[in-house]
This record gives sequence, structure tokens and C-alpha cells, in this order.
Amino acid sequence: MLDLFKLVLQISVILALCRIVGTIFRKIGQPRVVGEMFAGILLGPSLLGWMAPGISAYLFPASSLGFLNALSQIGVVVFMFLVGLGINPQELKEHGHAAVLTSHVSITAPFVLAAFLALYLYPRLSDDSVAFTSFALFMGAAMSITAFPVLARILAERDLLGSRLGTVAIACAAVDDVTGWCILAYIVVLIRTAHSSTSIWVTIGGIVAFALIMIYGVSHLLRHFETVYRERGHLSENLLALMLLLVLVSALCTEWLGIHLLFGSFLMGAIMPKEQRFVRYVLDRFETITVTLLLPLFFAFTGLRTDIGLVKGQEMWIYCGLIILVATVGKLGGSMVASWLSGMPVREAAGLGTLMNTRGLMELVILNIGLDIKVISPALFSMMVLMALFTTFMTTPVLAVVCPDRLLREAPTKVPTQDAAIGALASADKISA
Amino acid sequence: MSRTNTNFIIAYALLVGLPILGLVGILKSGRVLAAPISVDGVWKLQTDPVLLAALPCGKTLASSPDAAFTISQSGRNFTLSLKDGPNSAASGVLDGTSLKASLVPSAPWSEEAGCGSGREISLVATVNPKANPRSLEGTLSVKQCLSCAPVDFRAVRVATPAKKGSH
Repeated sequence: MLDLFKLVLQISVILALCRIVGTIFRKIGQPRVVGEMFAGILLGPSLLGWMAPGISAYLFPASSLGFLNALSQIGVVVFMFLVGLGINPQELKEHGHAAVLTSHVSITAPFVLAAFLALYLYPRLSDDSVAFTSFALFMGAAMSITAFPVLARILAERDLLGSRLGTVAIACAAVDDVTGWCILAYIVVLIRTAHSSTSIWVTIGGIVAFALIMIYGVSHLLRHFETVYRERGHLSENLLALMLLLVLVSALCTEWLGIHLLFGSFLMGAIMPKEQRFVRYVLDRFETITVTLLLPLFFAFTGLRTDIGLVKGQEMWIYCGLIILVATVGKLGGSMVASWLSGMPVREAAGLGTLMNTRGLMELVILNIGLDIKVISPALFSMMVLMALFTTFMTTPVLAVVCPDRLLREAPTKVPTQDAAIGALASADKISA
Repeated sequence: MSRTNTNFIIAYALLVGLPILGLVGILKSGRVLAAPISVDGVWKLQTDPVLLAALPCGKTLASSPDAAFTISQSGRNFTLSLKDGPNSAASGVLDGTSLKASLVPSAPWSEEAGCGSGREISLVATVNPKANPRSLEGTLSVKQCLSCAPVDFRAVRVATPAKKGSH
């Protein structure tokens, strides 16, 4: 039964702690979101539950977590819509072959390394109810994701959105996210159909049909939102409510089709019109309540599921270290090498690699899905959350070292084009030699 | 085809195509790997309530008509929490089909359940992987209690904590 007092108390405590820790992290030069992620961990069994089990049991009894989860999931549904909204496929097209190569390598390198690591971790951290293919693909998808919103925020804070580094990073992160979510959708389908009477091909067929209807049908209707905005300079409350309704319907469709609510909301955002002022207007309408109220609940819920106590003993910490190492080498190294081969100066390429290694909130969203469908164990979930925190936390200081602002201001703002790619890709011949 | 495109294709094949082929190889070779047997989920406890009640700490468990425990598994390691039991969870290790777990209940719960201080509850069991649903057979005992006879139990898995494929 819903204990309203307990729920409001939980929300108050979460909001207060997220604000405090977020502010502290801002003071040390970190994005607020990293602090909020950390605050979530503090509220869970890793700190509060360990130091004050009585208070933890009173504040977050297991029976009350369903309501907190429901609220946080609504927040993530809206947030994924906003992430999709911020992604503009046109940006990648404008950047030519070099950006395509960089973005695809930044997915394949961590993906393959993660799958390779899965060979070692599967017998140690999984069980026989999970197929190796699902486990390895999930590890790959989880390690190849980039936190598009956190990355955009770091770039904005350093006034780098218009720089060559910024534009390439945004384009690559967008491709990584879309690809990562497609792979994750496949894994969810694979696991769900293994336990249902519906054939995998029926499910995949349904999803493809839905995506095609959305991209080639619904997206045309969505242009009316932009037309109205252009004519009136704003959208009425009814239209904003309709937009939200469409997000929820799309989310319900993907859930019903056998993937996850979040794919539908992400897709709805991705097919929305991409006119800059319109996008900014919609973001402003939905962002505040989502980011300040609902996402902290998601961080807290994730923190309540993260038990660092499960990572005990030397052996487990070695696994955790390996995960962080492989994630960083694959993502940072892969992006760096590819962008360097594409003609970017080495320090700037290192900066791009560092930015791409930011996983943040997107990683937590994926990990929660993985834990829900039980493709990863609680201990592995905790290790991966630590990896997400570590790689996101390291972004700002490492970027300041490898790629100081002064250097970036001097760099040309023009993104690598086909011409720049010639020299870069010619370097690829050296590799083959 | 222009030189740019040719170079792009070569670079793409080397940096993207080749790793994807490697991935296929990894997925194929991984299929032969064996992971520990799954014990994750909720297990319904079937035991003699009289014998269970005779154990220190056993009264609370025996009085519950739906005595059950939940196992949360991470590879060979797992945590086990008793329904109507102490808040703290037992940690255990799985070795093949054998599992061992032990728990030192918190002082307030021990007092309430009449355990006495410093008692350690121990569970040793064997999983029957062929049974559907999976079952466990073993003994529950209390260490540092020479007069306490171990109690045999059987447990049947009723559900995994969150059924696969659900959210």
C-alpha cells in the first residue's frame, strides 16, 4: 500500500542530498550530474545501509521502493525523449567520412574488448541461466555507450560546443547512443523471446515495422509542432500535453512489442523536428522538472540497487579494475586512434577520446535494464556502476590536462571534412602495411 | 572510385570490419564456457517445524507458514536473506552444485529470536539441477551449540527475484 508520508519523505531526502552533493561536485569542477549519481550511491546499501541500517530500513523499506521506481522510470522516459530530441542525424552527415570512421571505431573497439573480457568474467560473475551471447553483447553495449547529455554539458561549460572537438564529439556520441540502443534492444528481445512463446522474428518484425512507421509516417505529422511554433512563437499547453502523450504512447508500443519503454520515448525524440530554436523551446519546457525532480529519484533508485559491499575481496576488485581498464582503453583509446588517423592533432584526438569515455547517466539507464532482465548479476552491476562513475568523473580533469582550453581555442573551428580525411585515411594505409 | 573513398574503405575494413569478425569469433568460442549453476531466486523452505523451532533462532522461522529465503547470486558468490529473518544477509559460496552460507544475526534480532549472542547460522545444501523447478536439499545448523542437532530441509525455487524478461 502506498505510504504517502514515506514517499514524500524519501523524495525530500533524495532532492536535498542530490542538491548538496551536486553543488559540492560543481565546486570541484565536476558536472552536477556526477555529484547526483554519487549522492544516489550514498543513500544505498553501500553507505547509508552499511553505516546506519536502522535509518536506511526506515527511510527506504523494500516495500516502498516500487513507488520510487515508478516515479523514477517516468523521469527516465521523459529524459530519453529529451536525449533523442537533442540528437541530430544531419550533424554526422556534415562531418564526412572522418567522423563516421571515428564514431564507428569508438563503438567497435570497446564493444569487442568488452566481449573479450566477457570470456573471462562470464564463468566468474554470471550463471547458467544467462547465455554467453547475451552476456557478451550486453557488456559490449554497456561499455560502448557515451553519455550524450553529460558530454554536451561538459562542452557547453567549457564553451567548446562550436569547436572542432565539440562538434565531432557530439556527432560521434549521437551515433554511439543510437547504435548502443539498437544493440541493447536486440539483446532485450533475445532474452525476452527466450522466455516467451512469441518467435524472435515476430518480435523483430514488429519492432522494425514500428520504427519504419515512426520514421516515415509519424515524423511527418510531428512537423506540425514545429510549424505551429514558427507561426506563434510558442506551443499551447494542449500541444505540449499532446507531445507528452505521444511520447508515452510510443513508449507503451515498444514495451508491448517486447523491448522496453525507453526505446519508444528515445525514438519519439529522435524523429522530432530538429530546428534549433524549436528543440531548445521543447527542452526548456520539459527539462527543468525532469532534471531537478525526477532524475535524482532515478539516481537514488540506482544507488539503492548498488551494493559496493558485494565487490569484496581482492579477486572482485581485480575484476572491477579490469572492467574500468577495458572500458577506458576501448572507448578512450579507440576514439583517440580513429580521430588521430582521421587527421586530428594528437592532443585534440586525446581530448575527443576522453569526452567519448564519459558514460554518466546513460550507462546507469542501460545497467538498470541489464539488472532488470537479469543479464548481469548484482555484483557486476555494482562494478559497472563504479566504472560509470569513474569514467565520468575522470573526464573533466583529464580533458583539462590533455587538451587545455588554450589549445582548443587555437584549433580551427571547422570540422574535419572529406579533404582532411584524405590525409587521415591515407595514414590508415600505414596500419595495413 | 576516388582515392579518398578507397582509403576510407580500407580504414573502415581494418578498424571496424576486422574487429566485428573478431567479435563473431569471441561469441562462438564463448558458447562452450560454463557458468555456475543458477540458484538465484526465492526458495520455499520445507522442513519439520518442530525440529526447526528447537534450534536457537529457529522459533521465528518455524512460526512462519510461508518460510522462504531469497538468494541473490553473482557468479559463485551469493547472498541469502531469510524471510521473517534478520535484516542482515548471509553470504555464501557455490561450488559446483554444493552451496554453503553462514550468517551472524544482528544483536537485536538474535535477542528477539532467542538465539543467544554470537551465534552463527550455517546452511549447507546441494542443488538438484535436473529438477524443475530447481530444488535444494541440505541442513541448517547453529555453530557453537553442541546440543543443537542440525535440521534437514528441502527448498524449492518458486521464482527468480525479477523474472527474466520482465521489468
